[in-house]
Amino acid sequence: MSDPPVQAVILAAGEGRRLTPLTNRRPKPMIPVANRPLLEYIVEAVAAAGLDHITLVVGYHQERIRTHFGDGDDWGVTINYVEQTNQLGTGHAVLQAEPTIDGPFVVLNGDRVVDPAIVERVAVAVRDGSAPTVTVTSTNTPREYGVVTREGESVTKIKEKPTGPVETNQINAGIYGFSPAFFETIRTTHTSGELTLTAALNKHARKHGNINSLMYSGQWLDVSNLWDLLIVNAGLIETAAPSHSEQQATTGDVSIADDAVIAESVRFGPNVTIGGNTAVGRNVRIEPNAVVENAIIFPDAVIGAGAVVRDAVVASNARIGPNATLDGTPGTLVVDDTAHHDVKLGGVIGDNTRIGPGATLTTGAVVGDDVTTDAGVTIDSRIQAGATVRQG
Amino acid sequence: MCGIIGYVHATGEQASDTAATAAASDGGLTQATGEIIHEGLRNLEYRGYDSVGVALVGESSGLTVAKQSGEVDGLTLPAVSDATHGVGHTRWSTHGPPTDANAHPHTDCVGDVAVVHNGIVENHDALKTELSEHEFTSETDTEVIPHLIEEKLEREDDLLAAVQRVEDRLEGSYAICAVREDDDRIVVARRGSPLVLGRGDNATFVASDVTAFLEHTREVTYLEDGDVATLEPGSVSVFHNGEPVTREVEQVTWEADAAEKGGYDHYMRKEIHEQPEALRQTIAGRLDVDNGTVDLDVSFPPGFLADLEEIQIVACGTSYYAGRYAAQLFEELAGVRATVEIASEYEFSTGRAADRTLVVAVTQSGETADTLGAVRRATAAGARTFAVTNTLGSTVTREVDGTAFIRAGPEIGVAATKTFASQVATLAMVAVGIGRERGALEGARARSVLDDLQGLPGAVQQVLDNEPAVQDAAQAYQDSEAFFFVGRALGVPVALEGALKLKEISYDHAEGFAAGELKHGPLALVTPETPVLAVLTDGARADETMNNVTEAQTRGAPALGCVSEGSAYGTLDVEFSVPDVGIVEPLVANVYLQLFAYHVANAKGRSIDKPRNLAKSVTVE
Repeated sequence: MSDPPVQAVILAAGEGRRLTPLTNRRPKPMIPVANRPLLEYIVEAVAAAGLDHITLVVGYHQERIRTHFGDGDDWGVTINYVEQTNQLGTGHAVLQAEPTIDGPFVVLNGDRVVDPAIVERVAVAVRDGSAPTVTVTSTNTPREYGVVTREGESVTKIKEKPTGPVETNQINAGIYGFSPAFFETIRTTHTSGELTLTAALNKHARKHGNINSLMYSGQWLDVSNLWDLLIVNAGLIETAAPSHSEQQATTGDVSIADDAVIAESVRFGPNVTIGGNTAVGRNVRIEPNAVVENAIIFPDAVIGAGAVVRDAVVASNARIGPNATLDGTPGTLVVDDTAHHDVKLGGVIGDNTRIGPGATLTTGAVVGDDVTTDAGVTIDSRIQAGATVRQG
Repeated sequence: MCGIIGYVHATGEQASDTAATAAASDGGLTQATGEIIHEGLRNLEYRGYDSVGVALVGESSGLTVAKQSGEVDGLTLPAVSDATHGVGHTRWSTHGPPTDANAHPHTDCVGDVAVVHNGIVENHDALKTELSEHEFTSETDTEVIPHLIEEKLEREDDLLAAVQRVEDRLEGSYAICAVREDDDRIVVARRGSPLVLGRGDNATFVASDVTAFLEHTREVTYLEDGDVATLEPGSVSVFHNGEPVTREVEQVTWEADAAEKGGYDHYMRKEIHEQPEALRQTIAGRLDVDNGTVDLDVSFPPGFLADLEEIQIVACGTSYYAGRYAAQLFEELAGVRATVEIASEYEFSTGRAADRTLVVAVTQSGETADTLGAVRRATAAGARTFAVTNTLGSTVTREVDGTAFIRAGPEIGVAATKTFASQVATLAMVAVGIGRERGALEGARARSVLDDLQGLPGAVQQVLDNEPAVQDAAQAYQDSEAFFFVGRALGVPVALEGALKLKEISYDHAEGFAAGELKHGPLALVTPETPVLAVLTDGARADETMNNVTEAQTRGAPALGCVSEGSAYGTLDVEFSVPDVGIVEPLVANVYLQLFAYHVANAKGRSIDKPRNLAKSVTVE
C-alpha cells in the first residue's frame, strides 16, 4: 500500500487589518496583485509542487474566496473549505482543517507568495519523517517576524516579534510540514492569548526537541503594509507578466509600457498612457488623456479623463474624477499610530469611493471605502470609510 | 424534460491498437461503463430528477435494466462487468407519476430492446391501440417506442432500420436512444428535443446536453431534427431520410467544472455570488462608453431598424420578467413600441406588419419548448426573429435570424439568478444599439446608460457585501404567512421576479404586484403577518411606490425596501441601500431579493437547487 499523498493547508481566514481600507470588504489574501489575488499565487505554487489536495481555512469575507476558487478545478487541484469563525490564532486555524487531513501535510499562509520549490522540499521532508519541519529565511527586518534560534539543523525556539536585541536575521518563513500527530500537540498547547503555531512548535521543541529546519532563499513576498503592495506588484509583474498581450479595445494613440498587465477587454480612451509596474483589472475604464503609472487598479474602477494616478492603489468600483492627481512624493504615512517616513505612496482609494474632479492626493492619503469627495479637495491623510470630504 | 445519455466504448481487443491515443482524447476512461453513465446522469440531474434508470448491454450478460423513482444518487447500478455500452435517463414526469414502473428505460415485451426518451409522443394513444397484443407495464407515452421497435424487428432484423421506421410513426417531440441485446450499437433519433453526440477515439457519447460527458470529450456533433444516428466505439454514422449525411464536428471550449458547485452549499448561492463576474463577462468588450455605442456583433438588413414598428418579446418564467424589464428599455431608449408575451400564449395576431416586427426570444437554455414554439409561429408569420440566450449551439440559435449571447456561464440552480441579471444587461445593450442606429437615442443619454451598465458589476458586489444584513432580515421574517413584492415601472418586473424566486425555493406564498394595484384588491390580503418588500430606486418611481407601501404599513404589514443610495425612508422596518446606477438600479435591487429568498429557503432547509416539481430547462410545452 502506498503512503497517503501530502496535502496542503492554506490559512486564509484572517482579516489583514493593517491593509485597511482594502481589507474592509475582502480578506487580505484576495487583494489583487498583478491582476490576480495573492492567494492564487500560493495555490499555484502548491499545485506546481505536485500537491493536489488543498484545504483552505476561511473565515473573514469567505464568500470572496469560495467564489473565486470554487472546487479548485481551474488549478487542477481539489479544494476543500473549512471555516474558522473566530480568528483565535494560526494553531487554532490549522486545527479546523483536521477533519480533511489523513496524512502528512504542509501549512502555508494565504498572503505570502513563495516558490513551488520550497513547498516541494517541505512536502518531501514531512513525507519521509515524522518530525515537524519549519522553513527559515533571512530578512533585514527580523523584528517584524518570528525570529528563529537553531542548534545545528534543529530549531529550538521561535520568538514572535521580539522587542529586545536579536541575535540573528533568520526568521520563520511560515511554511511548515507536519504529521497528523501534530494536531494533538496544538490541542494540548496552552496559551494566554491566541493559539499560534509557533507556540505549539515551541512546546514541541521543549518536550521533544527535534524540529527540522529548511533554509529558504527564494521568492518570499510579504505584504505587511500598504506600500508593500506596489513593490510586490512590480515583482510579480516582472516574474509572471504575460505582458499586455491580452486583448483590449483602444482608440487613438494609447501608450502601454511593456511591464504593465492589463486585463482582458479593458477599454482605453485616446492618448492614455500606462506606465511601468502597473496592473489594470477587469471592466476598468480609463478615459482620454489619463496617465497611470506604478499603480494597481482593481476591477470595475473608472479613471477619469486627464487624471494622473502614480504610485497608487485604486480599489474596486472606485471612480477617480477627471483631472484628479494622485502622486507619491516621498512623505510620512501613519499606520496603527506609528509614523513611517519616506514612504512613496500617492494614495490608496477604498472600494466604491468617488474622488471629485481636480482633487489632489499625496503620500499619506488613505481614503476609506464609500467616501465621496468634492471637486478640488486636497487629501494627505486618512479618511474614514463612508465619509464625505467637502471643499474648504 | 428529461436528461438522457448513452455511452459506448471499445472492448479490450478493439481498443488495444489505439490505446495510446485514447488516454489523451477520452479523458482516460478507466471507469466501468455503468459508472460513466451514472456520472453523466449526475451531470444532467438539473434537467429533472424524480426518477432514474440505466440499461447496460454486455456480450455475454445481454441486456440489464435497473430503474427506480428518486434521485440519481439513489440508483444502485446492476453488476454487469462486461458491459460495453448502455443508456441512462433522469426523468421529470409528464405522463404518469414518478414510480419505478414509469422510470426509463422502457423495454419491449421480451426485454430485448430498451429505450430512453425525452419529449412527448403525442399520438401514443393511437399507437397503443395498434399495439394491443403487446404487454404494457407503465403509464408513459414512451413505452410505445420499444414495442414499435419490437414489431419492426420482426420484419427486418436490424435495429437501425427499425428505429428509422418507428421514427416515421411518432408524432410530437423526442430524442430517443435505443439499445438491443446482441447488438453493439446505440441507435438514436432526434426531433424537437436536444441531442448531441460526443466523439472520443475509443468511446462515443450521446446526451441531451454536453455537460453530461464534457469531462471525457470536447469533440461534439449536434444532431438536426429528423436525424437518426448509430454510435459505435470509434465511429458515428448519421442518417437523414434514410440517406447517410455528414454533420459538422465542433469543439466545446468552455469548462465543465464551471458547472460544479464547489465551495458553496448550493449552486444558487454560488451563482448569486458569481453575478459580478458574470456581468463583467456579459459586457466585456461590448461597451464603448466614450462614444456612446455598443459592439454586439449583431446586424440587421439595411433599413430594417429605421422602419421598425414593434418589438415583441417572447419568454417564460424568469426570462419573461427579464423581457418585461427590457420592454420598458426598448420603448425608452430605442423609441420602439415594445410588448412582452408569455411564450406559450403567443400568437402573431392580425393588425401587425410582419416585416416591421422584430420578435425577440429570451431563453436561458435556448431549448425552452414554449419559447421555441413562439419563435416558430413568428417565423411562419414572416416576422424577423432574434434570440437572447446563454447557450451556444442551442436549438433557438439555429432557428432565429440573429442572436446575442448573455455569456453568464453555466447555471445549474433551477432558480435562475445570474442569468436574469445578464439577460437584462444584454437586452439593455441591444436597446442602446437599436436606439443609436435608429437615431432615437442621443449620445449623451447613451453614454450615461452605458456608464451605468459598466457600473453594474461593482454595484452588485456592494449588495453582496451586504449579505449579512439580508440574512438577518430573512431570519426575522421567514415565518410570515405570505410575502408581497411591489414596485412601479422597472420595479414591477423585479417585484414579480422577487416573488417568483421566493415561491420557487421556499414554497412560501409570494406574490408580486405593480404597487398601484395593491389598493385595487391585494390590500385585502395584507395583515401584520404579510411583509411587503418594495423596490424604491431610480427607474421605479420610488416616492409613489412608497405611498403604496405606507398603505400596507397602515394595515400593520412590516415593510422592507431597496432604496437608492443617498435617499432614505425613515418609516421602513428594513432598508437596503442600492448604489447609484440609474436605470439598472432595480436590477441591482433584485440581488437583495435573491439573497432574501435564498436565506428564507435555507433557514427552512429546502432543497434549494432542486425545488420540488420543477426542472431547469423546460423542454415540453
